Amino acid sequence: MTEEYVLRCVLMLCCALLSANASNWLKNVLAACSSFVADAAPVCPLQVQICKRSVEVMDAVRRGFRNRRWNCSTLESMPVFGKVVTQGTREAAFVYAISAASVAFAVTRACSSGELEKCGCDHNVHGVSPEGFQWSGCSDNIAYGVAFSQSFVDVRERSKGQSSSRALMNLHNNEAGRKAILSHMRVECKCHGVSGSCEVKTCWKAMPPFRKVGNIIKEKFDGATEVEQRKVGTTKVLVPRNSQFKPHTDEDLVYLEPSPDFCDYDPRTPGMLGTVGRQCNRTSKAIDGCELMCCGRGFQTQEVEVVDRCSCKFHWCCYVKCKQCRKMVEIHTCR
Amino acid sequence: MAGAIIEKMSTKKLVLFVFFILLFQIFSILVGALISPSPTTAIRYLATKCINFHRTRAWLMPWGSNRCQQVHSFDDPLAKTLDANDIVFAVHVPLPNTEMSPWFQYMLAVLQFDIAFKMTNQIEDDVVITIDARLAYRDDMTSEWTTKFHSVEQRPLRCTFAVSKTYENEGRFYHCDPIPFMELGSVAHKYFLMNLRLPVNDTMNVGIGEIKDIHVVGIHQNGGFTKVWISMKTVFSPWISVATVWYWYRIRLLARPPVLLEKVIFALGLSMAFLDMPVEWLSMGFEWTWMLLFEDAQQGALYSILFCFWIIFCGEHLMDQRQRNRLSAYWWQVGLVVFGSSVLLIFDLSERGVHLSNPFYSVWASESRSKVALFFSYLKPHITFIIVAGISVCLYFFSLCRMVYCVFRTIGGKMQQLPTMPEARRLHYKGIIFRFKFLMLATLTCAALTIIFFILNQVSEGHWHWGDYTLQVHSAFLTGIYGMWNLYVFTIIFLYAPSHKHNRKKSGDTQHTDMTDKPESQETQLTCGEQGPTEVYRITGKVAEE
Repeated sequence: MTEEYVLRCVLMLCCALLSANASNWLKNVLAACSSFVADAAPVCPLQVQICKRSVEVMDAVRRGFRNRRWNCSTLESMPVFGKVVTQGTREAAFVYAISAASVAFAVTRACSSGELEKCGCDHNVHGVSPEGFQWSGCSDNIAYGVAFSQSFVDVRERSKGQSSSRALMNLHNNEAGRKAILSHMRVECKCHGVSGSCEVKTCWKAMPPFRKVGNIIKEKFDGATEVEQRKVGTTKVLVPRNSQFKPHTDEDLVYLEPSPDFCDYDPRTPGMLGTVGRQCNRTSKAIDGCELMCCGRGFQTQEVEVVDRCSCKFHWCCYVKCKQCRKMVEIHTCR
Repeated sequence: MAGAIIEKMSTKKLVLFVFFILLFQIFSILVGALISPSPTTAIRYLATKCINFHRTRAWLMPWGSNRCQQVHSFDDPLAKTLDANDIVFAVHVPLPNTEMSPWFQYMLAVLQFDIAFKMTNQIEDDVVITIDARLAYRDDMTSEWTTKFHSVEQRPLRCTFAVSKTYENEGRFYHCDPIPFMELGSVAHKYFLMNLRLPVNDTMNVGIGEIKDIHVVGIHQNGGFTKVWISMKTVFSPWISVATVWYWYRIRLLARPPVLLEKVIFALGLSMAFLDMPVEWLSMGFEWTWMLLFEDAQQGALYSILFCFWIIFCGEHLMDQRQRNRLSAYWWQVGLVVFGSSVLLIFDLSERGVHLSNPFYSVWASESRSKVALFFSYLKPHITFIIVAGISVCLYFFSLCRMVYCVFRTIGGKMQQLPTMPEARRLHYKGIIFRFKFLMLATLTCAALTIIFFILNQVSEGHWHWGDYTLQVHSAFLTGIYGMWNLYVFTIIFLYAPSHKHNRKKSGDTQHTDMTDKPESQETQLTCGEQGPTEVYRITGKVAEE
């Protein structure tokens, strides 16, 4: 199914940005995208569009996981993520949520630029025909983006049938990702009645920047609920495993299994690179601090000369002229 | 004036009349809520960053078969080789497969900038952004673009950054206020293309931060709403015009010259007929960019005459010894109304008038230069002008309330005297009191409903869902208020027209009661401010006389 290729393409992009270095990440990703897309028999230009767009929007994810033990380091053996994502862990929840959000975001942006043909006026997806545009306007681009994401990303899960607990978890997390965009839309208004009064006021909604969406989903990741599948009446629902926790909302992430400890390298499992050689922060007490990051193994300190840019002057639009400064910094790496 | 229809109508007929008026009112609200779509649509376009290497004046299309060469993001390697003056932001106004239509009546554009925070390139205070804007049109997808407008505009850039300005937060966006950009008074063509440039040199566009994207929000009136509105105007227009002509015919049939109040009612009917003129039909065929200004003038004329009518009505019903009946008796209230509306007219002319030649013009563009203007520019734009008009309106309402209070005091006094009066005079005063109270009730109802609906309109969302139906609240407000004031003016014209039933039978009596007005008013001398013992003395004195 072509949707599967696109989903894997999108998920793989996330990790491509994190592990490959900046100068050739674009090349890697586009090469991977086109190889996927070439495999699928009839190719929709739309899917190639989404693939390419997602490159830009996934950049935000990098920041969220830079300082954690799992930093999405599974690219080398593409396209499989390994246990991390095939099992229903927190990280899988995050990846599914962010990918659903990014599809919605990318499609909405493409609609706003006029790159997609139908968008809000596509009555197959959302109700209004081009003739209806003259009567009452078309629906919002974001409504189309979310509807498209629902029909595109969710269809793979729905095809497994509602009964699978992993399918339920994925559907819930996809929806949580989309809701992270919808509930943080910014409303702006303009009054343009008689003499500029508010007799006639027009309001519109703007999408938040994708970086903000990434931060919101990262926060949901931190507060994700562990759930299990249970049968209530005739339907199967996900309920919190520990009944003392309050039930999760539509916007929260859920996961089925606790995450593995990412400390050690496991050659059999792709993606479990361990934390040997990772940089850590000596003064922090959080997960990026040396005690937790190195899993108690200890760390080494090196003094390194770093050449950095300084006294930068910006010339709009597109380039910066900097001088180069040298300084000595301490780098701590895990044993 | 004596012998209006309202005084001669039986209560049953009056109730029936009011019932029909209410029915029409509910009908006009439902037309807006159920049939009409929302009044306006806002479409958010993302400007495409086209590369214009040779700095030509060609028109760059963002999508389609003839699209320009683009840079997707300023972080691309390609973008690093470009100069700021090579970048053109292109927006094609209707999205693909849609067309603009003259039914949209106007097109506003508002700019929103996505500006990322960078420690080395922050947005400076009081910065002004310079935009080189061009607008073109064409009527089918294959012909050449025709230039319509070109202007270099300046706008103040007001942005805030929600979190602290540290290296950690680099890349997050500022929140910038939307910048009003363009106001096109008529939509005469099917496709529009905007090419914007941000020219950079040593003094222009420095300190505006790192712009990532420009969003253009295009606002226009929905075609469906325009059609519903024009239909309402087409229905009300002949109705009010015929009523006004009929009213003047009745006045002409009287033996005496018309009094001031009758003239003002006639003027009210004329201004409502003027507002109802469905000029929009003609604007479909011609490109009349002055329509927005004209509509503002229509509404302004109606409000002015309505305010004058209220003051004069109250004054004429004061029933004291001063024989007013002329406009100069009300000079300062009418003067206030005229002053307030001229201030608003001047403001409108300076903003919308200039849009006839340059839709990109804005009075707020140069506001940020001087310190005084800087103060005003931080307020909401229209408040600075409406403050002056608002003060006039407040003074007017203060005077109106005082006059209404005086009339009610007079009425109170008269009602105490009623049992002691002869029959004809009693009927005469009862008539005056009744018609004043009826108008007060009608006006207060309309004003209260207008205010309630306005507040409801501001706080509620655009549409409510009720079962299968979607109720458009904004449209219902606009059509409901429009219908209400039309019905109000019709009610006044109809009910306050001279009644020939009375005149034919008792013309002698009319003369008699008119004559007795003067000695009557001399006797009571109940001016506002004199109280208690004087009144009682006069009443008892009068009784003693009789």
